[in-house]
Amino acid sequence: MSNIIELKIPDIGGHAGVEVIEVFVKAGDTIEKEQSLITLETDKATMEVPATEGGVVKEMKIKVGDKASEGDVVLLLEVGAAAAAPAPAAAAAPAAAPAPAAAPAAAALVEVHVPDIGNFDAVEVIEVNVKVGDTIAIDDGLITLESDKASMEVPSTAAGVVESIAVKVGDKVAQGALVLTVRSSAAAAAPAAAPVATSAPAAAPVAAAPAAAAPVAAPAAVASAPAKFDEANFNKAHASPSVRKFARELGVDLSKVAGKGPKGRILHEDVQSFVKSVMTSAVASSFAAGAAPAAASLGGGLDLLPWPKVDFAKFGPIETKPLSRIKKISGANLHRNWVVIPHVTFNDECDITELEEFRKQVGKEWEKSGLKISPLAFIIKAAAEALKAFPEMNSSLDGDNLVLKQYYHIGFAADTPNGLVVPVIKDADKKGLKEICKELTELSLAAREGKLKPTDMQGATFTISSLGGIGGTSFTPIVNAPEVAILGVCKSQIKPVWNGKEFAPRLMCPLSLSFDHRVIDGAQAGRFTVYLGKLLSDVRRLIL
Amino acid sequence: MSNTIELKVPDIGGHSDVAIIEVFVKAGDTIAVEESLITLETDKATMEVPATHAGVIKEMKVAVGDKVSEGSVIAIVEVAASAAAPAPAAAAPAPVAAPAPAAAPAVAPTVAPVAGQYAGAVDMEVDMMVLGAGPGGYSAAFRSADLGMKTVIVERYGSLGGVCLNVGCIPSKALLHNAAVIDEVAHLASNGIKFGKPEVDIDGLRGYKEKVINKLTGGLAGMAKMRKVEHVRGIGTFLDANHIEVQLTSGTGKDLTGEKKVIKFAKAIIAAGSQAVKLPFIPNDPRIVDSTGALELKSVPKRMLIIGGGIIGLEMGTVYSTLGARLDVVELSDGLMQGADRDLVKVWQDWNKHRFDNIMLQSKTTSIEPKADGIWVTFEGPKVPSEPQCYDLVLYSTGRSPNGKKIGAENAGVIVDERGFIAVDKQMRTNVPHIFAIGDLVGQPMLAHKAVHEAHVAAENAADHKAYFDARVIPGVAYTDPEVAWVGLTEDQAKKEGIKITKGVFPWAASGRAIANGRDEGFTKLIFDAENGQILGGAIVGPHAGDMIGEVCLGIEMGADAVDIGKTIHPHPTMGESIGMAAEVAKGVCTDLPPQRKK
Ligand SMILES: Cc1cc2nc3c(=O)[nH]c(=O)nc-3n(C[C@H](O)[C@H](O)[C@H](O)COP(=O)(O)OP(=O)(O)OC[C@H]3O[C@@H](n4cnc5c(N)ncnc54)[C@H](O)[C@@H]3O)c2cc1C
Repeated sequence: MSNIIELKIPDIGGHAGVEVIEVFVKAGDTIEKEQSLITLETDKATMEVPATEGGVVKEMKIKVGDKASEGDVVLLLEVGAAAAAPAPAAAAAPAAAPAPAAAPAAAALVEVHVPDIGNFDAVEVIEVNVKVGDTIAIDDGLITLESDKASMEVPSTAAGVVESIAVKVGDKVAQGALVLTVRSSAAAAAPAAAPVATSAPAAAPVAAAPAAAAPVAAPAAVASAPAKFDEANFNKAHASPSVRKFARELGVDLSKVAGKGPKGRILHEDVQSFVKSVMTSAVASSFAAGAAPAAASLGGGLDLLPWPKVDFAKFGPIETKPLSRIKKISGANLHRNWVVIPHVTFNDECDITELEEFRKQVGKEWEKSGLKISPLAFIIKAAAEALKAFPEMNSSLDGDNLVLKQYYHIGFAADTPNGLVVPVIKDADKKGLKEICKELTELSLAAREGKLKPTDMQGATFTISSLGGIGGTSFTPIVNAPEVAILGVCKSQIKPVWNGKEFAPRLMCPLSLSFDHRVIDGAQAGRFTVYLGKLLSDVRRLIL
Repeated sequence: MSNTIELKVPDIGGHSDVAIIEVFVKAGDTIAVEESLITLETDKATMEVPATHAGVIKEMKVAVGDKVSEGSVIAIVEVAASAAAPAPAAAAPAPVAAPAPAAAPAVAPTVAPVAGQYAGAVDMEVDMMVLGAGPGGYSAAFRSADLGMKTVIVERYGSLGGVCLNVGCIPSKALLHNAAVIDEVAHLASNGIKFGKPEVDIDGLRGYKEKVINKLTGGLAGMAKMRKVEHVRGIGTFLDANHIEVQLTSGTGKDLTGEKKVIKFAKAIIAAGSQAVKLPFIPNDPRIVDSTGALELKSVPKRMLIIGGGIIGLEMGTVYSTLGARLDVVELSDGLMQGADRDLVKVWQDWNKHRFDNIMLQSKTTSIEPKADGIWVTFEGPKVPSEPQCYDLVLYSTGRSPNGKKIGAENAGVIVDERGFIAVDKQMRTNVPHIFAIGDLVGQPMLAHKAVHEAHVAAENAADHKAYFDARVIPGVAYTDPEVAWVGLTEDQAKKEGIKITKGVFPWAASGRAIANGRDEGFTKLIFDAENGQILGGAIVGPHAGDMIGEVCLGIEMGADAVDIGKTIHPHPTMGESIGMAAEVAKGVCTDLPPQRKK
């Protein structure tokens, strides 16, 4: 008599999606209990998975290269009659691994990972809102991430008690990164399960001392070098001697450079791009911080006067308030864009008398549905069409190349209590006015409530900043890099316009197009704006 | 009539807290308008601050190392009534007309220890003065010259090359080569090839060694000439931070001629090396020698004692033993050849058992008495002969001490520690920014290849490059038979420091080539970081181990892992192959060994 059982991956210390790097058995093999079946390799260690039963392998369910997690079936085993006797299953013997000893009792542990946060790959954790032992519910905010665009909370996808937290403030995470492990409510009730040792990460990081025979000199009271380098980690950086030499020449602390080469090796190019990024941020910080300190380290920055230091309190009462996070972030971006991009602004007016009539009419028709139709929706639609006619307006500069985009995603600046954000309406050219209006409403609401997802703010090819509800006759919007142009819109006014016979009252909408003069020349920008104005003056053309 | 004014730091482009790296004037000096007072160094550039007024300095308000900003007071100057007319300042130190940018004027910066102030005659002016012509010194001088500096080497001996070429690395290897051939030939007897006992003409052998030295030192002299690097022969002593006095020497040694020369330099590299430590209880007797004495190869003793079982002692012992001497070695620590992992040393020791009568560990000499029939030595330790032993030759090789205290470095303001080492930063700069130090006198390991690399860093920085000594590891080799070579992290160290490693060991017993050579006693061991897999260290014992360890060094510098090394195809059959195989062993994929237990 025989029966077939499944041999599964036991608790492997909370790792999931662990790679199978070796398979020691194959169908037909007779195996013994405790015999190694496969080797798994996490980033910390390798561990072998032993058989929990002896018998004959009927079928392999796993092969080298597969990613396995606890509970995955390794193989089907035909267990001899004799084997049936000693109570089967439960035995889930601890993986006899040299590595992180897997905890025996498998509790219902659930991992919570970072969800899709747009294609950011290293977003900083700026807050951790829970701690080990907290009871959390689904959708509770666990951590706050901050990209250069916005900050967002990662909600829990599980309920239960926090077993361990895998991130800390300052960590950089990407989609799929483990946030924490939760003992799911159900299982948590049963106290039995021994404290599951999610040991893996803890044991590891014995500071791998910089290779032994290291240099020599205790740099005594040595007078020279302004080195503020992290020398110990400079020495450990995964970089060849030639890259180390290059870094020294440029004054780059390799301990701060991320390697993009194979196995994280720091390449020549990585040092170069590090320098580039420092240069651009130095420009920004010299402005923000005043005293131009960072810029000094690499040269090339602006040689600006120090920021004036004024004791404002001398002249009257003051209150000091920290800048909001969004202001800080957008400020740095705006400043870079302003400094790097040679801006030119082209101002024009277009006649939207008829557009306005049409809009009011449609507005009435839509009244019942609750959907509002704003002038901005028309401008977005018209902009998408105009961009199609002027492909270079829908491009980005990449070194010596111009990247022409064949999609038309229109960003619009939204004013929120915390500062400026730019949600994006994707494929505006393919959407009808109704759809655009709907998205406009939803995104504006999300923006005001601080609920925009990073993906909501990515991918714009052109941006519109409308002050139409406020006033003004013209202004200079700052190009939202790496886009090459931005349209500013001010308040429309009824003005007398000569129609060939007489002055007629027309509703005129002021348009201010700022553009990157490296990419677009004045005539082109003028033509684009005039074309856009025409589309708005006669919205019938939008359907052409 | 006169009045005093303050000379201040002018607008320096918005920088603040800029470090002063040089001060050219001192209280009492008469200065002219536009004369440089100090040098500031920002992270962008250095700049000199000129005087805005002429007069006599009453007081200096800054020193090297101070940080200043616009408006900081540099000095208080008494302005002469006539100051309006640019006073033809009396002692205005004319800046050295050197191609090197920071041409330091005659007056030295003030630093602790307070530097001297030499104002006498000068025989020679250079951009770069290198003190000592060892591997450190000549490499520094040649690199300096190649970078466009007018360079001079001050060396007391007639030939360039220092310890390494004259009484170190090279002559010892010349003798070891002969010893190795003698030993190898003797081994052939068991392969059916017999050459009788060798006849050793000790004068001939010494002559061969001299020829080797002369070929190399002659080559160096030629290369110095091609680079226009002048060798000023004599004993150098610093006078201040920009002058050195050389007591000229001649002859085969360092006999003083009585003449002197003063050299004025803009920059200097100290490479004065080290010399053997002679412990105070060691008497003077021609039969008691240091490595230099042993290399003279005066005769072959019957019994030889080596005090200090380090590399130098064991290399010399190997030579004398092959020439016919019986060896004893006494060593204070618990093992010979400290630094290498014990498994390597054991292989060497097993192979060399026949050379030794007594290996006395954790032991010391209690008396050393020269008598007519030999040197009588008594020992104390767990396993020493109870009776005094008689030797024809005693070699003391108990370490080397740096020459830092013998060069008047304090006059230049350079800090020398109590043992004679000079501390430097990673750019090989001493506490005096324009004076560098390299080689044996900046610290362990005292090895020629370390000195050479440091030399290049120093010379490049003297030429205003931004060079750093960033090598991760420095290999060490005992050129004994078999050779023992190691680099980076050792197993012992990993254990001590709790560093998690994986290792791969390939025994040469499985190397076809080693077996064919009749030398399969060795092994190759590689040590990897258990976490990121990168190679951290390696060691080889066996013939030519020293020639092979360079690959391991490269691997470490490049951050290679076991797969990189294992997948690099090594030629077969070679002993070098063993490095690739050791890497395969670390990965469990070596097929030249019995199947490995699954990890
Ligand atoms: C027996 C022996 C074997 C060795 N074998 C090896 C080996 O195989 N591999 C290896 O890497 N290393 C070996 N070494 C060590 C190696 O020789 C030294 O590390 C190396 O020579 C150091 O170079 P250096 O330039 O610092 O100084 P040195 O070679 O010591 O040169 C210093 C020079 O400065 C001169 N000098 C000192 N003071 C003055 C002064 N006041 N005025 C003028 N001149 C002065 C000296 O005469 C000397 O020529 C060995 C050493 C010995 C003794």
